[in-house]
Amino acid sequence: MSAVVSAATSAISPANPLYRSRKRVNVFMLGVSGVALVFGLFWLVWILGTLFYEGGHALARISLYFEMTPPPGADGGLANAIAGSAVLIAVATLLGTPVGVLTGTYLAEYGKRGWIAPATRFINDVLLSAPSIVIGLFVYSVYVARVRHFSGWAGALALALIFIPVVVRTSDDMLKLVPDSLREAAAALGCPTWKMILSVTYPAARTGIVTGVLLAVARISGETAPLLFTALNNQFWSLRLNEPMANLPTVIFQFAMSPYKDWHRLAWGGAALITLTVLALNILARSLFRRKD
Amino acid sequence: MEAYEPVARPVVQVMRPSVRAETPPVEELRPKISARNLNFYYGAFRALHDISLDIPEKRVTAFIGPSGCGKSTFLRTLNRLYSLYPDQRAEGEVILDGENILTAKQDVSLIRAKVGMVFQKPTPFPMSIFDNIAFGVRLFEHLSRREMEERVEWALTRAALWAEVRRKLHQSGNSLSGGQQQRLCIARCIAIRPEVLLLDEPCSALDPISTARIEELIHELKGEYTVVIVTHNMQQAARVSDYTAYMYLGELIEYGPTDSVFIKPKRKETEDYITGRFG
Repeated sequence: MSAVVSAATSAISPANPLYRSRKRVNVFMLGVSGVALVFGLFWLVWILGTLFYEGGHALARISLYFEMTPPPGADGGLANAIAGSAVLIAVATLLGTPVGVLTGTYLAEYGKRGWIAPATRFINDVLLSAPSIVIGLFVYSVYVARVRHFSGWAGALALALIFIPVVVRTSDDMLKLVPDSLREAAAALGCPTWKMILSVTYPAARTGIVTGVLLAVARISGETAPLLFTALNNQFWSLRLNEPMANLPTVIFQFAMSPYKDWHRLAWGGAALITLTVLALNILARSLFRRKD
Repeated sequence: MEAYEPVARPVVQVMRPSVRAETPPVEELRPKISARNLNFYYGAFRALHDISLDIPEKRVTAFIGPSGCGKSTFLRTLNRLYSLYPDQRAEGEVILDGENILTAKQDVSLIRAKVGMVFQKPTPFPMSIFDNIAFGVRLFEHLSRREMEERVEWALTRAALWAEVRRKLHQSGNSLSGGQQQRLCIARCIAIRPEVLLLDEPCSALDPISTARIEELIHELKGEYTVVIVTHNMQQAARVSDYTAYMYLGELIEYGPTDSVFIKPKRKETEDYITGRFG
């Protein structure tokens, strides 16, 4: 005979031990999650606080943006490093965006048959997580060591190699989010594949792809290791890509390791500047992405 | 271009005309599409078993049957849409105007332009209402701005959407309601003037009024187009079609004039399905 069910023994009551133990587990898990959140935020706030406490003064001085990196003990700014970083990032973006978006397009739109697309996707994922110093050493050995001098081109190339896998991944993912029904609808009109991609899937995935490019720019703007062996550094104002080029990350590295107070101040200022730029890019990417929904 | 005459007509007319001309047996009509021993595979799974039938020109042919019986699969062989996917293949013949379209030397884009398709869910492209329609036309024709405007108006009028969107042709196609989006897709399809229209459950996501409009549209279109419709709704098949095919588990069970299939089916399986004892 089955269990007797009566109103007095109804399972749906606050006194049910099963229900009460579930509530206790819920409270416990909520507490643990909260502690983890506070722990994470604590370090983040500390890092940002220190950064802006130490770098705020330098950021607020107009000379930071208009004067060259000084010799120790003299007054100066980071103008050549800011300009150099801007040029390196711009060149890397121009090199990396077409390659990255087109590769992502191949993976998502054409790579349905055979092993090439899955293999490419796997290698891309490996590159995506490769330590950036490896990329720097690679460009050093295949380019810098052969032409026997450091240059802006080498730096931009190293940054582009870090940039490309990020864009490949996001473009591939964003294009795969476009429903197949749209592709079928275009194909059913007698539309060739390249035209379908240009007119239907790119517009549908546009904000996602642009967001991926912006995030990749944010990613490379703080990279130091690949520039150490490639663009090196330059004390003077130079926008010539065939010569060693000043850039914020290496200047920060060099100045922060030095024994001079003035250089420390400038290093903090540069670090704060990069952080603010990355923050701005992230906010831009988010607002672009949100406008779509 | 006499076909561009905008058609004025009552908005909603739900039922088919009361007087139905006697439908001749399929064999007496000129076939537009013929399937011969058509088999279809999704990878190793065989979804169609030796389908052979003739779809008559300028008539409405309906495919009915329970979910998964292969109706949509059959429809997708008629414009080679399946060939977008590497693991899907068809064997046998599908003869359109005397040529087997399943052979590799046939140009799929031209086949698909000739055999238009409307899907279950509306699929407006991420562009304006105007461009949604002009997109397909531009693939095959060079029209002046004026001619393109006329073509868009003509197509939207045929799809009974012109009055609702004439003032907002430059808004996104996604801003329309579901029923309007579906009519937009029909307009987009007929704008390139195909010869065959494949409708894959075109009304299953629509409210009754939109459904009625689309059914009425099907009636109007059959004078010029060969229409093939897949539907889950048996009343709809009875209302709109001249010929009906009943499919079950990838096989063609019965095919004939709609009246005889619904009133005196030859096979017991068909009778069970249409009377609701099964399915």
